[in-house]
Amino acid sequence: MSTAMNFGTKSFQPRPPDKGSFPLDHFGECKSFKEKFMKCLRDNNFENSLCRNESKEYLECRMDRQLMAQEPLEKLGFRDLIDGKPEAKDKC
Amino acid sequence: MGGLWIKRCSSNVLCGWRSSHAGFFTRAGERVEPLLSPWWSGTGGAERGLRRLRAWRRPSPSRDLTLQPPRRSKNTNPFTRAQEEEWRRRNKTVLTYVAAAAVGMLGASYAAVPLYRLYCQATGLGGSVVAGHASDQIETMVPVKDRIIKVTFNADVHASLQWNFRPQQTEIYVMPGETALAFYKAKNPTDKPVIGISTYNVVPFEAGQYFNKIQCFCFEEQRLNPQEEVDMPVFFYIDPEFAEDPRMVNVELITLSYTFFEAKEGHKLPVPGYN
Repeated sequence: MSTAMNFGTKSFQPRPPDKGSFPLDHFGECKSFKEKFMKCLRDNNFENSLCRNESKEYLECRMDRQLMAQEPLEKLGFRDLIDGKPEAKDKC
Repeated sequence: MGGLWIKRCSSNVLCGWRSSHAGFFTRAGERVEPLLSPWWSGTGGAERGLRRLRAWRRPSPSRDLTLQPPRRSKNTNPFTRAQEEEWRRRNKTVLTYVAAAAVGMLGASYAAVPLYRLYCQATGLGGSVVAGHASDQIETMVPVKDRIIKVTFNADVHASLQWNFRPQQTEIYVMPGETALAFYKAKNPTDKPVIGISTYNVVPFEAGQYFNKIQCFCFEEQRLNPQEEVDMPVFFYIDPEFAEDPRMVNVELITLSYTFFEAKEGHKLPVPGYN
């Protein structure tokens, strides 16, 4: 939050997240998925678009272990990954 | 009552206004106008005589001063009476307009509060919440492939909180309209469970309105047991309208900064709401 309390300056307004807060993964149940994702990021020079499969798997892990509310993957922006998987293979 | 008659007036117009109990002026009274000239002293006898000549509605002379009929011209001069009526009517009109303007200003000052809120939501001024931002937008949004934004991560901890809190990646390259995942790591090196609560900041401020978090770990108390280390994910996306905003043309770098504070037991931090 901005500490410059000037009248004219625009200040930042933090907003709550859309779906609330992630419960903490105290037991590290999804740690392996996270490690896969981080490794993918490091290999691909931190480009997010190349590691979306790994992020999808991490979120699915969370949903399976009650660490995240169940949501259809389209609502999380993974629509192209669900039904686009055979298409992506064709493009390759 | 006698005092009113003492003052010598120069013109009939003013005198007519001054004579307070000449409230009623009939046709018969015009004939006795000389009798009513101001230098007469209003003695009791003259009053009785006048009352016989003119049909006054006043029951007693002592109440003449206080009981004035409304809208009656106190002028005895018939030529200027119409003008005075006109002035009086115009004064009333002006007074009505002024009163209406005052009431209008008061109403506008009350209406300004919700109107300003609507304006801020529509234009997103000051980084306030943009109206119309719905979660089903995520389903339909299309990544903008020609804008690559670098998002860097920063982690801070308040001095009284002894956690080791740091991001697990220094930067990530993301497109507007694409959901992205990032990780922070926090470790509690002490021997006591500690509860922390965090808030975040996005720089530049104008880009902050396009930075939407789907889910994260902020604004809720997070409890870490002694010597525990956890991964804290942030799932976010940049609104695809970011690419169409002319103010954002030169924005290539967005910094997301989280700060953790220590939360006391039972002390709730005010969560920012949509208001």
